[in-house]
Amino acid sequence: MTANETVGDRIDLARNQLTPLQITAGLAFGAAIAFTLLFVQEPMVHDAMHNFRHAAGITCH
Amino acid sequence: MIADYLKRGVFAGVVAGLAYGLYMVFVGNPFSEYLHDAGHDHGHGDDHGHGHDHGHGHDHGHEHAVSETTNFVVSAGSGVLWAIFLGGLFAVALYVLEPTLPGRDGVASYVLAGAGFLSISATPWLVLPPAAPGAEQLYSINERLAIYVGLIALGILVSALAIGAYKRAATRHRGLGLVAGAVPIVAIVAVLPLATPTVVTHPDLSSDVVSVYQALAAFSQAGIWLLIAASFNWARRRSGAVRTTEMNETPLTSS
Repeated sequence: MTANETVGDRIDLARNQLTPLQITAGLAFGAAIAFTLLFVQEPMVHDAMHNFRHAAGITCH
Repeated sequence: MIADYLKRGVFAGVVAGLAYGLYMVFVGNPFSEYLHDAGHDHGHGDDHGHGHDHGHGHDHGHEHAVSETTNFVVSAGSGVLWAIFLGGLFAVALYVLEPTLPGRDGVASYVLAGAGFLSISATPWLVLPPAAPGAEQLYSINERLAIYVGLIALGILVSALAIGAYKRAATRHRGLGLVAGAVPIVAIVAVLPLATPTVVTHPDLSSDVVSVYQALAAFSQAGIWLLIAASFNWARRRSGAVRTTEMNETPLTSS
């Protein structure tokens, strides 16, 4: 880690090390988890995670 | 290099997730269930004209789609998954933002963890505070989700402002930097709850119980972020990627 590294350098480095497909897959995976935990209102899913969403202060409810 | 960050981030998330899963098993689940039942009992036993039969606003008036056991297990599992997700998010954010974060290696992790807590939990809670079971909501679910997403964006903005203000002022004096960094945070904490309506009420619960429930939510979420930052730093030191001379960081309790 060099002292004068910038955010842009980090992003370029990641772009070089990862394929676009890997980046897309990673983002999609993260989005899927976030969506499931925070937003899904389907009654079965919602009620199953009921205590978690309350205890974690997630505003689904 | 990003793969190393992600690996350590997921490891940190697993550590925090196991702790948070235990928290859900021993505190989150029983407390939520207790309040849930207390709300129902109160509604049934209360004959002052607003018994439970009239509580159409209650979210819990409907039949539950799953059993209590499923709720317990999935809730605990969701707690683990939640921390792993935050750990991954933390790792990617740290990888990208590390060059611009203030503080030497280990400290930058805690700065980012604080920003994460402020953005994802604390700022949304200023408008949409954690709701105990049986809460009555002013807005519909879709409105609240939209507000929630907007508040996360606001939280990220406030975090960025605070860190930017710290870095500018800290070049002159470190204390001055801390004060400058605190200004945006104090401003939003002071203004936002006053400027927005009360959207969550708990008609069946005493305000003390609600306060405890909300404080537990706040402390447990802050605990997740602290554990993620601490575990991430531990994994990084262990891998020898960062050879800090300061190995005497105050150890964090793992509860």
